[in-house]
Amino acid sequence: MTEQNSAESSRPQSREPERSGPESGAPESSAARQSGTRQNRVARRTALGLAAAAPAAVVLASPAGAAHAATAAGPAPRPVHRLRARSEIGRIRLSWEHDPGKPFVDHYAVYGAKTPGFAIGPDTLIAKTIYASFSHDRMGGRRQDWHYRVVTVDAAGNRSRPTAQISAHSTESVAVSGTPLATVGTFDHKSLEFALAPNRSAQYRTRFPNGVDYTHGTGRPETDWSYIQPGPSDAWGGNKVTRATFRFAVDQVPAEPWLSIWLLDTHASLAGTIVLGLNGTAFTEVKLEGGAMRGSLEGDATVPGTTLKPSYVELALPALTTGENVLTIDKKLGSWHVYDALGIFTR
Amino acid sequence: MRSPLPGRRSFLAMTGVSAAAFAAGTGVATADATAGGKVPADPFGLGVASGDPWPDGFVLWTRLAPRPLAADGHGGMPPRPYTVRFEVAEDEAFARVVKRGQAIATPELAHSVHAEIRGLRPGREYFYRFRAGDEVSPAGRTRTAPDPRSTPAALRFASASCAAWYHGHFTAYDDMAKQDLDLVFFLGDYIYEYGITTTNWWRQEPLPLGPEHGTETITLEQYRLRYSLFKADAALQSAHAAAPWVFTTDDHEVQNNHADEWSETGIAPADFLRRRAVAYRAFYENLPLRSSVRPDGPDLALYQRFRWGRLAQIDMLDNRQYRDTYPAGVVTDNSPERHDPKRTILGARQEKWLYDGLGRSDATWNILATGVVMAEIDRDTGAGQLYSNDMWDGFPANRDRLWDAFRRHRIANPVVLSGDIHRAVAAELKADWKDPGSPAIGTELVCSSVGSDGDGAESDQYAALWLANPHVKFYNARRGYVTGHLTPTTLTSEFRKVEYVSRPGGPVTTAARFVTEAGKPGLTQEA
Repeated sequence: MTEQNSAESSRPQSREPERSGPESGAPESSAARQSGTRQNRVARRTALGLAAAAPAAVVLASPAGAAHAATAAGPAPRPVHRLRARSEIGRIRLSWEHDPGKPFVDHYAVYGAKTPGFAIGPDTLIAKTIYASFSHDRMGGRRQDWHYRVVTVDAAGNRSRPTAQISAHSTESVAVSGTPLATVGTFDHKSLEFALAPNRSAQYRTRFPNGVDYTHGTGRPETDWSYIQPGPSDAWGGNKVTRATFRFAVDQVPAEPWLSIWLLDTHASLAGTIVLGLNGTAFTEVKLEGGAMRGSLEGDATVPGTTLKPSYVELALPALTTGENVLTIDKKLGSWHVYDALGIFTR
Repeated sequence: MRSPLPGRRSFLAMTGVSAAAFAAGTGVATADATAGGKVPADPFGLGVASGDPWPDGFVLWTRLAPRPLAADGHGGMPPRPYTVRFEVAEDEAFARVVKRGQAIATPELAHSVHAEIRGLRPGREYFYRFRAGDEVSPAGRTRTAPDPRSTPAALRFASASCAAWYHGHFTAYDDMAKQDLDLVFFLGDYIYEYGITTTNWWRQEPLPLGPEHGTETITLEQYRLRYSLFKADAALQSAHAAAPWVFTTDDHEVQNNHADEWSETGIAPADFLRRRAVAYRAFYENLPLRSSVRPDGPDLALYQRFRWGRLAQIDMLDNRQYRDTYPAGVVTDNSPERHDPKRTILGARQEKWLYDGLGRSDATWNILATGVVMAEIDRDTGAGQLYSNDMWDGFPANRDRLWDAFRRHRIANPVVLSGDIHRAVAAELKADWKDPGSPAIGTELVCSSVGSDGDGAESDQYAALWLANPHVKFYNARRGYVTGHLTPTTLTSEFRKVEYVSRPGGPVTTAARFVTEAGKPGLTQEA
């Protein structure tokens, strides 16, 4: 569905800013995809045909009421294997391997707690997903230690035994461990304190025709820092490279200056690239992580069930100078990103 | 963005385990007469349905769900198989029962049954009902397709799509249930995947749902629960019980705007296929589909052909599973990539199947049912050109190949049924879109939505855009559906519209009536 024309849209939700721009990567030809599909389908149909011809008694081979602890309909599915965890700022990424068709999987239930050896139950259920990964996110900047186990639930409601416990921690953000020199916004997984938040992207061009130019100390987040920064792929932003400028002063040059940018969400397939500059010199490019497309419309990632997908950019800055420093963020490629907070810290 | 064959392959081995359950659910297998033990009270909370009519039978569907909104998606059923008996009669009082049988409702398939009935007489009305334990379902009415060699006097049909239950009451379904219909075409978006919250709850009463309905559907239990939520609606149940339905999907059965394994929210293709597999599983479990349409991992063999004697050949098209992604990455454009002759909305295999089938057609009318609009709609009302690549407009080469097939096989009366846009539109399909004098080679009836977009209005800000295309003959922005009365000489179509859906009881009237004569494609407005 896509009447992209807003109200006409078959998507009954409120609208995104216009999405546009080239898809990265060459699309595989449909012929190649179809031949793959066809091949698999033939193989699968054959398998199904054979199996369906089996005696009907097979249907009820597992006696009704079979007394498995958590199941009565059939044997328990296998737990996932190769469960792994990766530490990142504000989140722990879990991933695993499992055949979702044998038996047919309803979902994977991810259980977790801050204490090891925890009991599996409704209180420790963190998420259910059909994907082979789960990002336990929105943890805030402080290091958190977690322990996880995953249960496979099949289409009949049978539950696997839990996996062995895996332990991991999130990486501490410099926004927590460092000393702030200058910040805009609060590092809280919300964009609500910023201008135009949470959904007035359409006003960006009139309110910030030359981009954001914010001076720490005198600027006010609610009027002077836009929650969203469009990119060249955004018609509503004028299809151009945009700049956000952050001016801040330091009395003395810090030894290890760091930049922390927390993003509330980004465009899913065109999150794009930012070029960071300090005092007139570009010093790095950062490819942003694809988000969930919702940050242009909603501003609070602490709401239960939110689909917002926060991400983080933290890196060492080149040497600052005494007095005013000017950080620039140029959205060089792709579509929009939405800010949670930005700050300069010393480690 | 596309690398996912390993993900597909992981489904290869899936079928063996559930094949027996599929077979049992169709009534083909000989089942234990009394599997399951005592059946919970009131197990027919999702009603009954029939579908896929062929000359000697049809599929009868029900799903045991004494508590349809149980959060685990199992409808309140214990995790055991249950025997479900069915009977088919020639009369409403069930005095002349012509078929009896039983199927097994298994927890693997959410206690659904898809009883495939054969051996009946063609072109005839039948009545059916189910029994589980001592519980008897409401009765449904259905019919067999006519003898393929006959020329029936008429086919009375309806088409509907886009049933966002949370946007409005299903008054259109209520009205549909009161018509005397032979067949209902459902053209996609039977459910929506979005979380239902106060922001998209447009019915006037307070939101009656818990947080388990408040997030986007991703798991099987969530898709099952979403079907349960919509199907618990009495109006939808009456429409199903009144006539056999045939189905295609559009995008919201899985996720907005998806193309095959591509998701606009950046979900990796291998993961998206996992999700498509559970979405299609729930689709099958909840609709009267024959076993040849049962899903196989992430694949659903959905496109299929029906015949209504020599009066009509009916091609149900699948315009989501095999389509190419946006030509230049954007939904609306007129990029050179859009004109790539290789672009396809149906996929090479379905295209061949369609053209071959048209070549063999000896029917007076050829009905093509597709989710999205087929007519070219230029959305730039000025000198430029802009097209929505989510519709057939994103695949002009595919449409041209179809037009070639119409010409090659001398298909005199193509009738396209589509939906998706939440607006009622009647359009003539032109041999040359850019030439207003070009002859019409077919007729397209776009049904409005059953619920999506709420009350709507007689007209709106997009009317001008659509009506600026001279082959668009009618536009209305209320909720509603289409009825058609097809005879060997004419198709009379009516656009039924609902005055309001934010509260129950909106009056339903005919917004426009058109006549299309056999052999003279196009539209003549009668009312």
